[in-house]
Amino acid sequence: MSFFESLRDKAVATITQVLDKKEEVKLTKDELFCKEYNLPDGETILSESAAEVGVKSSHNKDAYKNIPFPQGRVYATQHFLVFRDLFDHRNCCFTIHLLSVKKVERLPSRDYGFALTITTHSQISVTLYLIGLRSDSEKFAQTLKVILKKNLSNINKFQIFLKTCYSEYLLAKNQISNEKIDSPPNGGLGLEFKFPGNAKDSKDKSKMKLWFDLFRVDGRNLSLIKTPMFYKLVRVGLPNRLRGEIWELCCGSMYLRLADQTEYEKLLSQNMHKKSIAIEEIEKDLNRSLPEYSGYQSPIGIERLRRVLTAFSWKNPEIGYCQAMNIVVAALLIYMSEEQAFWTLNLLCDKIVPGYYSKTMYGTLLDQRVFESLVQSTLPMIWEHVEKNDIQLSVVSLPWFLSLYLTSMPLVFAFRIIDIFFLQGAKTLFQVGLAILKVNGEELLKTNDDGTFISIIKEYFNTLDQSAHPNSPNPKFRNITKFQELLVTAFKEFSIINDEMINKHRLKYRDSIFQNISSFVKRTEIRNLPKLANIDQATLSIIYDRFYAFVESYNVTLGSGSSLMDFKAFKRFMNDICDWIDNRDHQGAGVTTDDFLRRLFDNWDVEGAGFISLSDLVIGLNKLVEKDLMTSISNFFELYDVRKLGRIDREGILQVSEDLLCITSPWKDGILFDRITDGLISQTALNEQKKNPDFEGEIIIDRLKFEHQQIERYLSGASTFIQRAFEYAQPVEEEILIQDLVMDNKISHNAALNPNTPVFVNLPTFRMVVLADETYELFFSKTFRKSIHLDKPLDSKFDSIRNLRSMFDGLLADGRKVARVVRDRVDVAANNVLHNNEDNSSMKSSKSKVHEEEEERDDDFGVISINEADKDLLLGAEAQVLTDPVHPGSGANRDLKRLHQENGNVPDSERKDEKGEIKNLIEFDNS
Amino acid sequence: MSFPNPATSVKLVLLGEAAVGKSSLVLRFVSNDFQENKEPTIGAAFLTQKCTIGERTIKYEIWDTAGQERFALLAPMYYRNAQAALVVYDITKPASFIKARHWVKELHEQASKDITIALVGNKFDLVEDDEEDSLRKVSVEEGQNLAEEEGLLFFETSAKTSYNVNEVFIGIGSKIPDSSANQPEAIRENNQGRIDLTSNNASGGSSGSGDCAC
Repeated sequence: MSFFESLRDKAVATITQVLDKKEEVKLTKDELFCKEYNLPDGETILSESAAEVGVKSSHNKDAYKNIPFPQGRVYATQHFLVFRDLFDHRNCCFTIHLLSVKKVERLPSRDYGFALTITTHSQISVTLYLIGLRSDSEKFAQTLKVILKKNLSNINKFQIFLKTCYSEYLLAKNQISNEKIDSPPNGGLGLEFKFPGNAKDSKDKSKMKLWFDLFRVDGRNLSLIKTPMFYKLVRVGLPNRLRGEIWELCCGSMYLRLADQTEYEKLLSQNMHKKSIAIEEIEKDLNRSLPEYSGYQSPIGIERLRRVLTAFSWKNPEIGYCQAMNIVVAALLIYMSEEQAFWTLNLLCDKIVPGYYSKTMYGTLLDQRVFESLVQSTLPMIWEHVEKNDIQLSVVSLPWFLSLYLTSMPLVFAFRIIDIFFLQGAKTLFQVGLAILKVNGEELLKTNDDGTFISIIKEYFNTLDQSAHPNSPNPKFRNITKFQELLVTAFKEFSIINDEMINKHRLKYRDSIFQNISSFVKRTEIRNLPKLANIDQATLSIIYDRFYAFVESYNVTLGSGSSLMDFKAFKRFMNDICDWIDNRDHQGAGVTTDDFLRRLFDNWDVEGAGFISLSDLVIGLNKLVEKDLMTSISNFFELYDVRKLGRIDREGILQVSEDLLCITSPWKDGILFDRITDGLISQTALNEQKKNPDFEGEIIIDRLKFEHQQIERYLSGASTFIQRAFEYAQPVEEEILIQDLVMDNKISHNAALNPNTPVFVNLPTFRMVVLADETYELFFSKTFRKSIHLDKPLDSKFDSIRNLRSMFDGLLADGRKVARVVRDRVDVAANNVLHNNEDNSSMKSSKSKVHEEEEERDDDFGVISINEADKDLLLGAEAQVLTDPVHPGSGANRDLKRLHQENGNVPDSERKDEKGEIKNLIEFDNS
Repeated sequence: MSFPNPATSVKLVLLGEAAVGKSSLVLRFVSNDFQENKEPTIGAAFLTQKCTIGERTIKYEIWDTAGQERFALLAPMYYRNAQAALVVYDITKPASFIKARHWVKELHEQASKDITIALVGNKFDLVEDDEEDSLRKVSVEEGQNLAEEEGLLFFETSAKTSYNVNEVFIGIGSKIPDSSANQPEAIRENNQGRIDLTSNNASGGSSGSGDCAC
């Protein structure tokens, strides 16, 4: 069960930091910051300041004219300049990658104080009016200067990167930017095999135009100013050709791709001919991933899918490949290039839905539990019904989460959900799930089994494009589709479901989920152990717990993890259950029980690797507590017959006797009594009673007397043993005579006593020697076995729950650590690239394949104007769902106005149209 | 004198290693169909099919689970309350037989006590014309022995040629006692069946709360 082992390995690796933390691993301020702004791991806040922000676009000077300066906080990190509106971050926030900064000017200080104007690649100028002490502002400016300088060395990377962005291509093509981009960048399969759905129905052209306008005014990719319009445009559904780029911008995988532009190819070339379980599993599923999409009926699509999944499995061997990932990647690849999909998948598994596809799928299990709990609190009627009828909700909802709704809904709708999912994260999955149940609530309440429950929802998914209110007299209502209704329910009614709430719930159920997982792992592992005569199931369970308790807690101090036990851990393990382990510090020479333990360990370590597995341990222990006297003696004999020749030589005999002396110490020193002594004591007591039948009180036994007797017995046992062993040992030359061993063979006797003659004892002799002494016979038949307490309960200090929790935290923490390491590697790699690609810009591909005329023309906004009817896009139900609380209701109109006001590039005739439309819009809104 | 017997609902779960043909067996049984490239099962697929055995009609509620190893952790969710299980392996893949052994043990330890389990060696078509049995890696005897040890029904099937597939479900159905299907509901159902003589469609009535929905 190697994957369980590797799971434990992971857990152990990070156990130290979390052992005593009850709470979630506390994130540092910087980690929280990165999480909130989807920045790559490792960014830290180098300087921050309160600020007011003014934005100007060279393409539309008045775009920001009527907007009050947003107030908030600005942060500088190693690679980013981040701003967030203090009152409502959706009003204005930006994450500008410093590579896209062209110029920073300090404005002449006036009464306002300290101001910096930053001009970006997308010809937007952002003026930061820093608020606070002048010295602090100076410091901020200074920091910015330093990090900008540092980033300068990577500018080449930025130039290459821009050519991979569809937004840049779009603007260059329409002569808005000065970039020279002749051919469209690599994109999704949709470019070649058509995008799912009907572009006309989804008003793709108009959406494209709106994004085009937004890019001009608010910037794009690495230097985008996010205003309410941005969120709205995401919510109404992304246009096909920009979808991939906006996804990676929303979730932050764009930054990963920028940072390492070679890793993807490197992973593939370095592992070209390697095999792995993951690769095998991937191969099985390649032809089973969205097979109905034409791109996956072609080797082109299959090959892309194979490459992305394979590269991911090499980068993340602890995840490898999980079914459902094939569906997700297949979906991403329709809109994204391989590299975009690769980095997005990484981010998905690392940050957005951690643990969903891990080897135990703990994230999936946990979120199902969280979902159930959210249903319980937000839809109590449905919950009660489900409980009463014993319907297990997670069997219905699990595929929703695991495949991000891609296998549940028709693709066009699933992609709309995914648009929002990348924008606002995992909570989207919960919000949509709750909305599905709520919308179908009435029907669901009539069912009483899983089957009907599932078929209702299946039917619902298949009719998402139909009217939600087919019988409504109001045509406006009639036009609302079930899907729109779902979105409104999800993002309006269930907007209370936020990240904080989900995290709280995850924390709450984490332990119980992990308990389940670990008991499953334990069951499986115990089941995999060989059948053993001397150890029962209950004892196995205790051994299992103890094994991992010692393996883990021991390795913590080393900082390395393993599900194998080394000698030190083995010693501690045995010390915990055996009566005869000598704990004293033995400085220098002298035989200790360590020698015997070492012998056991080496014997059990079948492969001689220096480690034993749980299975090795259990097999060994089984021999150690053998009930049959003869077998028990021969097991012992085997320990010293290292070369398996069936004999123990002179050195070995001496070892045996010394080890026996050591491991019999507790009895030899009179600390423990064996059965003989116990027998004598009770006999004495009985005799006393017989002598004095009327005696009522306590019978006093002279313990010391019995102790001495026993000590005598053991000492004599030891000396008899060595004496007899040598007496009956045979010289090596006389090997032939082994069978007819004669007790009083004078010659061999003499030879054996001569220390220069090599001698040995074989198993029959050894047995005879042991059996000749009553004490030793008893030792092998009972005393020793009874001194090993395999079923001793594990000390409470090994709180298994705590270990579980640590395991869990470990898994999470590990993901972050890995990312950081990667990041460091990335920076090194980036420097190399810089030197190697002196003039990469000349390497432009001229293979610009002309696609279908019509599709291509979608991008030429100088020629084509937006369809009037399509303007209601922004007034549609979904667009309005998340209206910003600061300016409720005003959003759409004002934003549209802002984008289309005074636009130098638009011909006069069209400008009238725009105005006309705006008027229309206002009327529409008032109605 | 034949009453239309109400259908007894039986929850059945399929377990087994990835790509041994669990979904194909179900597809064969439910729609008498076979597909070479099926989308992998995410979590589990749910299907129903009725099966008439003598006087009885059994409505199978089939949970077809994902076979990839890591999905094993989700299995308890699906075999919970199951009255029957098919543990499937591929007779050309010894590892899948070992996995089957695990599943049998897991079910005996964790599932309902009276669960009826059938051990199914699938892909019989691959060895059918194979005179020397060179592709077969798990012998009939091995399968039979395991079945005997653990008290299971045993079948070798081919979802591709449909060999023995229906027999599996009939076999399971005949082994499931009438009363074990949803105890309280079964009684209610029987009562309904007796009282409601006019109803000629066992599954049609939606009046009673205990009626089995389709």
